[in-house]
Amino acid sequence: MSAPVWARRRAAAVQAWREFRTNTGGLLGAAFIALLVVFSLLAPLLIDQDGLNVVTATGSPLEPPSGAYWLGTDESGRSVLLLTLWGARVSLLVGFAATLLSVVVGTLVGVVSAHFGGWISAVLMRITDFFLVLPALVLAAVLMAVLPKSMWTVIMAIGVTSWPTTARLVRAQTLSVESRPYIERSKALGGGHTHIIGKHVLPSVLPLVFANTTLVVGGSIIAESTLAFLGMSGPEISWGSMLDRANQSGAVTAGAWWYLLPPGVAIVLVVLSFTLVGRALETVLNPRLKGDR
Amino acid sequence: MTPLLELQDLGVTYRTAGGEVEAVRGVDLALEPGETVGIAGESGSGKSTVVASVLRLLPKSAKVTGRVLLDGEDVGAMRWGRLRAARWSEASVVFQGAMHALNPVRRVGKQIAEPLRLHTGASAAEAEARVHELLAQVDLSAAKAKAYPHELSGGQKQRVMIAMALACAPQLVIADEPTTALDVIVQAQVLDLLGRLVEERGIGLVFITHDLSVLAATCSRIAVMYQGLIVETGNAKEVITAPRHEHTKALAAAFPEVGDPVSRYAPATAEPLPEEGERDPQSPVLLSARELRVHFRDRAGSAVAAVGGVDLDVRRDEIVALVGQSGSGKTTLARTLLGLQKPTAGGVYYDGGPVPTSASGLRDYRRRVQLVLQDPNSALNPRHTVYESVAEGPRIHGLDADEPGTVVAALEAAELRPAEQYLTRLPHELSGGQRQRVVIAGALALNPSVLVADEPVASLDASVRGEILGLLLRLRRQLGLAGLVITHDLGLAWNIADRVAVMYRGELVEVGPVEQVLLEPRHDYTRALLAAMPSPEPDDVWPAG
Repeated sequence: MSAPVWARRRAAAVQAWREFRTNTGGLLGAAFIALLVVFSLLAPLLIDQDGLNVVTATGSPLEPPSGAYWLGTDESGRSVLLLTLWGARVSLLVGFAATLLSVVVGTLVGVVSAHFGGWISAVLMRITDFFLVLPALVLAAVLMAVLPKSMWTVIMAIGVTSWPTTARLVRAQTLSVESRPYIERSKALGGGHTHIIGKHVLPSVLPLVFANTTLVVGGSIIAESTLAFLGMSGPEISWGSMLDRANQSGAVTAGAWWYLLPPGVAIVLVVLSFTLVGRALETVLNPRLKGDR
Repeated sequence: MTPLLELQDLGVTYRTAGGEVEAVRGVDLALEPGETVGIAGESGSGKSTVVASVLRLLPKSAKVTGRVLLDGEDVGAMRWGRLRAARWSEASVVFQGAMHALNPVRRVGKQIAEPLRLHTGASAAEAEARVHELLAQVDLSAAKAKAYPHELSGGQKQRVMIAMALACAPQLVIADEPTTALDVIVQAQVLDLLGRLVEERGIGLVFITHDLSVLAATCSRIAVMYQGLIVETGNAKEVITAPRHEHTKALAAAFPEVGDPVSRYAPATAEPLPEEGERDPQSPVLLSARELRVHFRDRAGSAVAAVGGVDLDVRRDEIVALVGQSGSGKTTLARTLLGLQKPTAGGVYYDGGPVPTSASGLRDYRRRVQLVLQDPNSALNPRHTVYESVAEGPRIHGLDADEPGTVVAALEAAELRPAEQYLTRLPHELSGGQRQRVVIAGALALNPSVLVADEPVASLDASVRGEILGLLLRLRRQLGLAGLVITHDLGLAWNIADRVAVMYRGELVEVGPVEQVLLEPRHDYTRALLAAMPSPEPDDVWPAG
């Protein structure tokens, strides 16, 4: 029984990939992200972590780029290249984890509110509205101030503030799916809530959620960098905290552009890649965005 | 005298990803002023493509051969400006689906005035006066010009479409399925209106539909299209009473005449019907409604009775047809019987006991009473294979004993043979009739005792219609399956039903055996429904409105 289902899903995935491939921007973004993810996972094996330690760092403070230090050194004499590469780990981890949190909460709230309707929907949507109008950065800052300073608090703070858009999107899509007659048929067959949500609603909502997810990752990475730049982050090395330290150690007045540019450019590239991939996925998975056929 | 419209060896080919498709092949047709020609055919027969080619409204992927002469002038050779002038001021179209052909955010008066402003350059005041004149011609009050489309009923919207088509006083009007989405009484009004316009103003009318009985009542000549060809053409009465081509015969048989003993218990189906077995006239009542009321709140908050006190019984081994206009509460009644809608008062009883309201009780009840929806195109999840769709019911109810066997048996019972060939297909790979069979198979997989079918053939082609009705009748005769068939089509009731319940404004005004209700109607509304059916009687081409 399940063989044709899987065969069909595989065929659908192949078809989606074929369409995705025609989008050069999306393809470039995906390649860059894949490279970065693989590198981040292997980083502890490739990078000598002594170079990241203030105590064991060998360079002198704020050295300009040279043969030994391709991107110069920071105020403690550590290689900026190593720091930037290592920072990708935290930025990606925060980006993915916060997105997962926000997408899970958003999908749950969206589907439940659209499926059950009535007062449940009213309550959930008012809660969503509440989080939607909260200034995300301020809320995250407050959370950071109240909770212990660590990477997980950052993830929490970003996740909590970014789910409402997903919830709205999922709710709209669920409402449109639930108005189709095959849902009525399923109810007449005796299908309960779990059956209708699991068999009919989620399979048609998830592709959109997936496309949205990639966009949320980019947003989460920016949010993490912003918070870290404002001094609200854990002790881990991230691109945002590098910028923060560069700012505080007077790298700007010292004209140490090599300390500021790498983390900044890294943020731009990663976020750009996720946005490109997200947009490309959206066109592939959301038939309404496809041009005339 | 030059004919108003002449098609000479018209051919249209569409370029698609799957190669070239010949939609229309070698069509010849001529229309004189004051004449009405009907084009009949099923979906995909090319009739709408013919319409589009007259005003050159075809998509870019279409290649046209042959000639279209509009008042002697070749449409294909017209320059762009000339074509624009010809559109609407010489020939206009009443598009199908009045529900969607009007712009929902503009007042209908403005929409009728649009071609006037474009073609005649009339001032706002002149246009307004003309709009009122046009509305009067289609029996609408001038105040309706200020209405938005959603404030009008289906029939009123269709009349607005006709007023729009008449705006620039064209010589030729092409009506593409103008009454398909309307119910019988409104349809009769619209047909009457079109007939009067032809008579009074001497315009030429091309009338396109899949319903031969409508053409019989309106047209002097009929052309029957099948797979892009005109397979039969001739005098309307002759074509309908003595069809020569197989396809015309199928179309004619699909719309039986109420009272014709030949079509009683005999839907147009290719498969033989089983013999009627021994029937117990007092077979037990399976499903019944007692004093059933369903009220909705309208926007103002006041209660509207969709169903107002209905008593109805459906017995084992019996098909009951529930007929009525759209908006009469038929569908609400069906949904309430299935437990999909809570009754405001009264109750639904199954097999003597009240229908449970608890979740698990309702689930068990739904194994017994199953639903077949109107539009099979949307009643199946497009992502699910036939197997999954049919197996959905048994899975919900945890009937996992031999699931493949159940599915195959259900598909066989719904006459999709060989069943194995259909298991892995997706809905979009099936025809409309096949999809409706899959929906029926999905219901049968639960081995129900009552099937509630909401307009089961309304969105199907004429030739498929007879097959699906035949299936319902066979299921009753072979399995004793009770059926409640909701329809606006009295011919359907005559074809397969044992009893008819006529619903009007939320109440059953007449219930009884088919012969009694349809041949000797007692209630005025039943008489009105019967009178509104298009009649092929030649003396009665335009029934007095």
